[in-house]
Amino acid sequence: MSTATSKSLKEKANQVMGVNLKDAKLAKSYMAVAFIALLLGGILGLLQGFERAGLIQLPYWFNYYQVLTAHGLLLVVVLTAFFTIGYFYAGLSHCLGGLLPKVRKMAWIGFWMKIVGLVIAIIPVLLNKASVMYTFYPPLAAAPSFYIGLALIVLGIWVCAFGAFINVASWRKVNKGKHLPIFAFFATAVFILLFFGSIGVTIEVLILIAWSFGWIPTVNVMVSRTLFWAFGHTLVNIWYLTAVSAWYVVVPKIIGGRRFSDALTRIVIILLVIMNIPGGFHHQIVDPGMSQALKFLHVFMSLSISFPSLMTAFAMFYVFERTGRKLGGKGLFGWLRKLPWGDVRFLAPMIAMIAFIPAGAGGIAQTTNQLNQVVHNTMWVVGHFHLTVGTSVILTFFGISYWLIPHISNRVLTPRMNKVGVIQTIIWTIGMLFMSGSMHAVGLLGSPRRTSYSTYGDNATALGWDPYLIFVAVGGTFLIIGVLIQVFAVFHMMFFAPKGVTEFPIADPEVPVEKTPMWTERWGLWIVIMLVVISMGYVIPLVELIVNAPPGSPPFKTW
Amino acid sequence: MKQARFGLLLFLFLLIPPVAHLLESIMIIHMHMQMPLLVIAGFLMAPFFQKRFPRLFENWNHAGIPGILLVTIVWLYWMIPRTMDDALTVQSVEAFKFFSLPFLVGVPLRDSWKKIGLTVKKIIFIGFTILFFGMGILYIKVPVQLCNNYLLIEQITLGWGFVTMAICIVIYLWYFVFMDHSKYE
Repeated sequence: MSTATSKSLKEKANQVMGVNLKDAKLAKSYMAVAFIALLLGGILGLLQGFERAGLIQLPYWFNYYQVLTAHGLLLVVVLTAFFTIGYFYAGLSHCLGGLLPKVRKMAWIGFWMKIVGLVIAIIPVLLNKASVMYTFYPPLAAAPSFYIGLALIVLGIWVCAFGAFINVASWRKVNKGKHLPIFAFFATAVFILLFFGSIGVTIEVLILIAWSFGWIPTVNVMVSRTLFWAFGHTLVNIWYLTAVSAWYVVVPKIIGGRRFSDALTRIVIILLVIMNIPGGFHHQIVDPGMSQALKFLHVFMSLSISFPSLMTAFAMFYVFERTGRKLGGKGLFGWLRKLPWGDVRFLAPMIAMIAFIPAGAGGIAQTTNQLNQVVHNTMWVVGHFHLTVGTSVILTFFGISYWLIPHISNRVLTPRMNKVGVIQTIIWTIGMLFMSGSMHAVGLLGSPRRTSYSTYGDNATALGWDPYLIFVAVGGTFLIIGVLIQVFAVFHMMFFAPKGVTEFPIADPEVPVEKTPMWTERWGLWIVIMLVVISMGYVIPLVELIVNAPPGSPPFKTW
Repeated sequence: MKQARFGLLLFLFLLIPPVAHLLESIMIIHMHMQMPLLVIAGFLMAPFFQKRFPRLFENWNHAGIPGILLVTIVWLYWMIPRTMDDALTVQSVEAFKFFSLPFLVGVPLRDSWKKIGLTVKKIIFIGFTILFFGMGILYIKVPVQLCNNYLLIEQITLGWGFVTMAICIVIYLWYFVFMDHSKYE
């Protein structure tokens, strides 16, 4: 009895005072890896931008495609996966009263699996044996260890996902009849997507391992691409959902408001989980082998994802306006001025949200078959994902870091560091405006992606791209300054900032509190519906591509 | 009543010839999307009829059994491969499809589901699961075209569609039977 009381006391103290030290160590490790990956990936990105602009020529032993592969791997896999898991584990620890010891152990096992996997995957990249870019489309074949490393990373992520499920289930058993805290609800959704979304790519990678070893002579290229994008697009939405969790739960608290309707938030999360995975098909909308009618129907499936996104946009501006008016904002737009623009914890995610307006619109354009034909495989697409992932998601992550890192390090965010953060955010925004903007424009003029610099024999059209590409390099220069400041800020806050307690900001629901229906907690049902939707989306292309398969392709090494 | 309006809208949307044509152009979309959507439209419209004709449902569907029997028979009919062919070639069968699925399946399904007992529900669930597996295997294995209007590959696709749906239902049943919800709620 006494232990039980002391435990619950400890839990309460945890929630009020600060952070469970063991969980904090875990989260700090994840964050440290994430931001080291940002530094390395950022430097590689700069080199790439310079080469793409024709300003430098990388040496043959460290060429453009190697750099491109490593840049992609470090930023879209390592940075995002480590940040997402570190962030959600810190949040689970905070709102579920600490991680269970076995879950913490699982998270550490997952951590080391991912680190080992990363090392195994990155070695062939450095040796120029895996310059296949991060999408690793066959028939380009990397050394087997590249795929083995990737498989290990995915398995590491699965261990973390199951750890989260165990912790959530145990909390629900203890807190019968209660709603899962909203942050943990987001975490559950993200880990469900991480697990189910990566099943397809795991199957693909296992086949590619056998293929690159030579155990099987050929591989079905179209099926590989389909399995990849079932994961690829889900991954995109996992980052997005992670960012959205901060927009719904954290940002309202920072600006001194209350969060949007609890029930609607949960419905948005459920919708994103259910509709996400088949959305990946729109990445293949110009691929051969699928009928026009099917592509047309898939456009609906993809566009349906924008529905919860629009709900989110509505919810966010609702919260902003209410809070701004409460703070004394008058007139049609007066409330905008009342928002705390000088606070990096608000400014960064706010710019991220604003960036998502053109980014989401561009995404809708790409989902449409005809428009996609104009921009597919051009720099437009690169510009698009530097706006979505590189701005909307990453700026939100940066904004999170200014309270999360102090929170898990038992330190505080000083006004000076806040100023550093504001400057960093502005530099990043300028850099992305230049880089992503010129990428979009030059893409419309036909400049290809995934290609090193070339004037194509001084072809006039290709020469016309040059001014835009210089702006890519200019943007890249701003961005590397942003990266350096951000990495400095993170490690400064982790180890050198003044000691103190920083809260984990979770906003309270609106008053009067409405009752959230209990069916929102039926995760088993949502998973089944998600599986139904996945099979609706993927049975047609997969059966077609497998039964009417063209001859497979042997591995190619074109470099 | 809002639901009934949405149901009517969905029904009217499905009636638009280009929409119907698109959905019917792919076999699996015809059977696994257009037909269920018609049922859902009826399901949503049901409250309107329940309110408008309470006596009818009271007299004819008191315990829910006649309703669910009607649902099963009509649904089974639309699972026969050649009925899809008929719908595509004979106008009156097509009209019957657009009438029967919402009004003879969707509406009575909603009216009956609350009235029937757990045993009947179990029979329905398990029966349809077995049927889905059976139809799936039939469509995958049969070496000849069952419908004049659809190629063999589309038939195989439909077969896999049935199998995956059946697997999803099994997962749901497993979740329903073996999970102790009282532990959590």
